[in-house]
Amino acid sequence: MAATFYGLMARFDTAPDIYHAAQQVRDAGYKNWDCITPFPVHGLDGAMGLGRSNVPKFSLLGGLTGFTTGMSMIWFTGAFDYPLIVGGKPYFSPLFAFPISYELTILFTAFATIAGMFILNWLPQHYHPVLKSKEILRGLDDAFYVVIEARDPKFDLNRAKALLSQAGAKEISELEA
Amino acid sequence: MSTHVATISPAAGSAAAHSSASSVGAAANKALVLGVIGLAATGLGVAVSGKAAAFSYLTGLVFWVAVALGALFLIMIHHVFDAGWSTVLRRQYENWITCLPWLGLLFAPLLISAVVAPGLIWKWTDPSYDLSQIGGHGTVAQDVLWVKKSGLLSTMTLIIASFVGFGGWTLISSRLRAHSIAQDTDGDIAHTHANRFWTAVGLPFTALSMTLCVILWVKALDYHWYSTMFGVWFFAGAVRAALSLGVIITIWLWSRGDYKGILNNNHMHSIGMLMFAFTVFWAYITFSQYFLIYMANIPEETFWYSLREINKDGVFNTWGYVGMFLLFGHFFAPFLTLIHYPVKLSKTWLPRVGAFIATVVLIDMIYNVMPSLKNSAGDAYPFLSLNLLWIATSVVGVGGVCVWAYLNSFAKTKLIPIRDPRIVESLTHHE
Repeated sequence: MAATFYGLMARFDTAPDIYHAAQQVRDAGYKNWDCITPFPVHGLDGAMGLGRSNVPKFSLLGGLTGFTTGMSMIWFTGAFDYPLIVGGKPYFSPLFAFPISYELTILFTAFATIAGMFILNWLPQHYHPVLKSKEILRGLDDAFYVVIEARDPKFDLNRAKALLSQAGAKEISELEA
Repeated sequence: MSTHVATISPAAGSAAAHSSASSVGAAANKALVLGVIGLAATGLGVAVSGKAAAFSYLTGLVFWVAVALGALFLIMIHHVFDAGWSTVLRRQYENWITCLPWLGLLFAPLLISAVVAPGLIWKWTDPSYDLSQIGGHGTVAQDVLWVKKSGLLSTMTLIIASFVGFGGWTLISSRLRAHSIAQDTDGDIAHTHANRFWTAVGLPFTALSMTLCVILWVKALDYHWYSTMFGVWFFAGAVRAALSLGVIITIWLWSRGDYKGILNNNHMHSIGMLMFAFTVFWAYITFSQYFLIYMANIPEETFWYSLREINKDGVFNTWGYVGMFLLFGHFFAPFLTLIHYPVKLSKTWLPRVGAFIATVVLIDMIYNVMPSLKNSAGDAYPFLSLNLLWIATSVVGVGGVCVWAYLNSFAKTKLIPIRDPRIVESLTHHE
């Protein structure tokens, strides 16, 4: 079976080159594309038009779950399932349920943050089309790549090629899925 | 070091600050006039309300001492960590701490009162103080809890601790400031090293002397009480107040145009994160203090919170509402606000949050000081009373003097430490 076309992979040699290329791809309105750099390039997220990450939403959800779990667990054990007077204190008070609640807030926030990061990054991902290309080894070493996917609604092979060369790509290759 | 110097435009520091020196001077004079009026009104208050106004003055004064010490701590924390990003903000804190000797001077009347009118503020300065007038029995000298603590709780200790405290803080703050300003001229790395020395000496000294002073000034208003958290509680509030004041000053300078091209989003983000961290720290300390006392349930400790919640006849009093406000207003509200990334970057919202936090630090201080002023039944006087007026005049009075000292120093110094070895790192602060 013939492999399907995945997208274009364009090489740039310096960090400023890919920074400006990213701005041009962003301004051309592409959505399904990415940059591959051997090290984090400051400001590249802005040049790519990426907004803030959605991971904090997962964190908030995890935190609220943890807090509620802590409070309801202490209430359930101490005031509902097996009411017992300890140290002359009430069966339930948010005061002594607070330490366990905030511990669970922190724990569940951490879990949800890690989980959110994995989910939003589609991890674990054992295969990606760029891994088929030998170029990726340079992308981990000394070269910078822009990958535009064919599934992007604006994608047109010739136009995308023209855009990348105009942006200063040193070499453009086609990727198979 | 000198390699950096050429790349920084001196205009960033001097031109903006000095072109408007006259308007700053006028503002300083206005602040001083306002301060003197506030202090005079407080003096009038002492004549009218006596003891209650003296307690109010202590509240207002200790609040501003907290702000100044918080600023001093932030400078020292900057030096001890060899921090980079906060270099462009440090100078304004250095300007602020010039108020410390004035605060010492403003504290003198309270010490004089302890000698000429013992028992006016601190009961234990007068061993013959009759405890029955505040719902107790016998005199202070007959009270075993004072007898056992009398080594610490005496007029002499109070005076010595206050002198050592204000003297030491003035010395350390003036050294830190002098070296930082001298470096603007000669760019000598030795000033940075000298400041590290003063910080290494100053941090433990200030931590210990501040704890001792605040125990004597505030905690010992109710000398029966025990709390191992008190010094740290004061530190948390002090740093929160100083950070809040710092962000207000920073945005004021930004809106004036001084900080244009210097202050970037990452500075805002870092200040916001510090404000957030100390919000959590304050909550941790304050909750721990309450929680340990609640769990142990020992009368010598619980009475302090009972007084601030119910009267002797079991009626829920106004301080209970203040306590609940502190829980939600001093922790949950700033916590849930500052947790948002856009709030930390907002030049509109961050100073508003700062103003709110500074106000609540003051209310926290009122909550700690004022209920110790008890009526003949041993209950606290209500929160909403004429005392709030005297607290307001004290806050304006002492605050006016602090603002005057700040503006005076501001007019004489450059906006940022232009030859600090870390200044480039700070100007290009990034995530």
